[in-house]
Amino acid sequence: MENEETKVMIGLEIHAYLDTKSKLFCSCPTNVNESKPNSLCCPVCLGHPGSKPVLNEKAVELGTKVGLALNCKINQDFFFSRKTYFYPDMSANYQITQYEIPLAGKGFVELGDKKITIRRAHLEIDPAALIHPSGMGQSNYVLIDYNRSGLPLIEIVTEPDLTTPDEAREFLITLENILSYLLVLKPETTLKADCNISINGGNRVEIKNISGFANAKKALTYEIKRQINETKLGKTIEQHTRAYNQETNTTIPLRKKETEEDYGYIFDPDLVKVNLTDEYLNKIKSSMPELPKEKIVRFIKEYNLSEYDAKVLCSDFELSNLFETIVKKGASPKITNQILTREFLSILNHDSLNFNQVKINETDIFDLVKLIESEKVSDKNVKESMINYISGDKTSPKSYLEKNNLLVDTTIDLDSIVISVIDANPKAKEDYKNGNEKTLNFLAGQIMRQTKGSAQIDKVLEKLKEKIN
Amino acid sequence: MIKQDETIKHFVNLAKSDFSQVEENLSKIIFELQHSQNKGLNYIESFDEQLVLKQLENLRNSNKKGKLFGVPITVKDAIVVKDLESKAGSRILAGYKPQFDATVIKKAREEGAIILAKTTQDEFGFGTFSTNTIKVPKNPFDQNRSCGGSSGGSGGFTAYTSAYHLSIGESTGGSIACPASYCGVNGLTPTYGLVSRNGLIDYANSLDKIGAIGRNTFDSELLLNVISGKDEMDSTNLGINYAVDDYDLDALDLNELNKDVNKIAVIKDFYEFCDQDVKKVFDKQIEKLREFVEVEEVSLPLNVKYALSAYYIIATSEASTNLAKLSGLRYGIQEDVDGLHFDDYFSLVRSANFSDEAKRRIILGTFARMSGFRDAYYLKSLKVRTKLINEFKSAFKNYDLLLNPTMSTVAPRFDEIEKLTPIQNYAMDLCTVPANLAGLPHLSSPIGFSQDMPVGLMTVANHLEEKKLTAFGKLIEMIN
Repeated sequence: MENEETKVMIGLEIHAYLDTKSKLFCSCPTNVNESKPNSLCCPVCLGHPGSKPVLNEKAVELGTKVGLALNCKINQDFFFSRKTYFYPDMSANYQITQYEIPLAGKGFVELGDKKITIRRAHLEIDPAALIHPSGMGQSNYVLIDYNRSGLPLIEIVTEPDLTTPDEAREFLITLENILSYLLVLKPETTLKADCNISINGGNRVEIKNISGFANAKKALTYEIKRQINETKLGKTIEQHTRAYNQETNTTIPLRKKETEEDYGYIFDPDLVKVNLTDEYLNKIKSSMPELPKEKIVRFIKEYNLSEYDAKVLCSDFELSNLFETIVKKGASPKITNQILTREFLSILNHDSLNFNQVKINETDIFDLVKLIESEKVSDKNVKESMINYISGDKTSPKSYLEKNNLLVDTTIDLDSIVISVIDANPKAKEDYKNGNEKTLNFLAGQIMRQTKGSAQIDKVLEKLKEKIN
Repeated sequence: MIKQDETIKHFVNLAKSDFSQVEENLSKIIFELQHSQNKGLNYIESFDEQLVLKQLENLRNSNKKGKLFGVPITVKDAIVVKDLESKAGSRILAGYKPQFDATVIKKAREEGAIILAKTTQDEFGFGTFSTNTIKVPKNPFDQNRSCGGSSGGSGGFTAYTSAYHLSIGESTGGSIACPASYCGVNGLTPTYGLVSRNGLIDYANSLDKIGAIGRNTFDSELLLNVISGKDEMDSTNLGINYAVDDYDLDALDLNELNKDVNKIAVIKDFYEFCDQDVKKVFDKQIEKLREFVEVEEVSLPLNVKYALSAYYIIATSEASTNLAKLSGLRYGIQEDVDGLHFDDYFSLVRSANFSDEAKRRIILGTFARMSGFRDAYYLKSLKVRTKLINEFKSAFKNYDLLLNPTMSTVAPRFDEIEKLTPIQNYAMDLCTVPANLAGLPHLSSPIGFSQDMPVGLMTVANHLEEKKLTAFGKLIEMIN
């Protein structure tokens, strides 16, 4: 797709909703999803004359955690600014954001061996939601829902250190994972990214407001191709803003951006400078939760997992917690890991599901692991019960196995079945002895049939060899 | 000489035991209010008799008898009052009835005050003469002259009414002191942050100060006592309350009153800027004061040179963002047009409903904060402000109070005002702007007349030294 010589630079601006009870500058609640339009607003977030913003300290705390987790320098003295532009979703026609001195300055995120530089992370308010009743550009009127107006956002800005759409996607996944460990993200919200992209040192094109990491990758891939083609035709790429159209998988121009937009920033004179004391900062530092990197190291050490397995488990906060809860109940780390990283994740991948879309009960998995530990279930039946658990009727694996008589009956005397099958097939026994390995499978099949598939195949083969010899 | 029975305190004491005092005073002031409106004196922007009578009934049935029990209070239009049209003198906010009371209104109500009416002002406080508005208030001493601005209606009505009454004004660059001076009343502007701005329709947030206008310092400080203090709804609020001491005017010891004010200085640069006849009245007052306090001269060269420029850049920069929200979309005036893109609709509403002065200040302020000019104007002005504050601070190392005539002239005639260029107009604020830019508390006291028009003396104190200011204001009133 890309020319070998094409040098791609990608920088991201990511917006995430912080999980606070009230909005960034007023006491309105933030449970936007379960509320009627325009029911969560007050004079402050509606921009009524005379109303004044008051900073929500919880947002500062969460923002500071994000800064620390991204290895940023925390600016202990910071303030807010007004970014002025006229738009119907902006209740005061200015956004309260941070300009000169953000809450968090330079930092980095590790992507394998590469460090992606974070330029800054700052707090700002979300605008209201514009609702186009019959689709964007199709309606002759627009509805405004101010419930969203004033929700606390953190904007994380990277340097243009990313060089491929895949890397950008990987960065977003890594970032989201770090944020989920911090427990700072508002549940049921997704990260939104503005992607800045340039090729071969040309002008920067910004693709606005992409939801979903796969979409970010697709948009960037398309945009690189588009820019290469334009350049081939001898056209210069101009600095401008585009939007990603999910249906057509293309980017379309939004507006020309010949120079930096002039927002006429001033310090917000309704707010005072915030000072984070050393004591405050130390308190937050000491309350920082374990981050993915640390958890991976611990899992390898504590549970004797391979680096690969530990990374897979820790790439999802919930998954790593599930693993640890089951193990702490007394299950084998090795088998629990196998169930989660092999069986479970492969079913999710197969069905294109996300972890948070399925309901997994720790006890159900624990019971299954215990059955495996006591050799009461075959690999084949483990898989079958898990598939049913996730995409079938969702009965717990144990009940499923019991109900369908798929458990190894420990009362069955496997030894005598093996001996009787060998005795009933003397020819096969001889063939095997003469070096025909395939006959062993034939004998094993006989045994499996007699045990109704509940015996473990490894074990059967082992016993057969033992008895014949 | 102020007499005990002229004070609000006296009235409140009577009212607490005799509710008919409240009713009589209220009838009188409503009559005068309506009379002044009928005569076209234009002190009042909005008045709703039903809302007033409802308050009266609530008060009648109330057990709590607060510090302002039964006192009718008028309020500068820029301060929002629940359910009462509040538009900061602007057509663009026509019909806007706030959903909440400003903190100062809440505090006044809690002490038993009756919120009577909104007073006229220059649109958003943009002016020195209350002429930048639709209903221009006329000076009670001469109807051809201005009440001053921008709290012109508050100054004018306080001078006009004979009833017991207080007014809540607001000063950004001198909007309390100026009308107090022109109308011969007392105007007390506190330290920035002492009184909550919650509910104030902003002019320039880092400069706006809500304060008190009354007939005398005793009344003004009582109002300041009520409206100052902690408010979590305003991040810039200092959380400090201005306390008042009890007093008996008949047994007031002037030396005791003034014990913390030993040395004061006249700000030479501002004094020299003033008209001869204003200086004459001012000089006479200073001579009288020398009996009680040492008076010297001080120069504030940086302030005289840079205060006005820094003030207008900061004020218009902030104002131009404050006014952005006024676009005919959620409240206030709406234009009945269809099919316009939002940009064009906003332009239409704003073009049709902001006055020329508002547009001038929006353009000035937008320019001063544009990238490319921001460093040279907006950010530079903030640095200049710090230097100007420091110049005041060094003067306060030597003096308890600084003095100057509040305004360089007596209230000008409307025909004179019309001839002023915008720059000449802005320069009229020279004496009041520096203290305002520095966030310093100041008091304008009436000290006499020239051409039958009142002259005011402005006293400036260091941050949070309102006590010295009011003590001195009382001294002036008691010796005159």
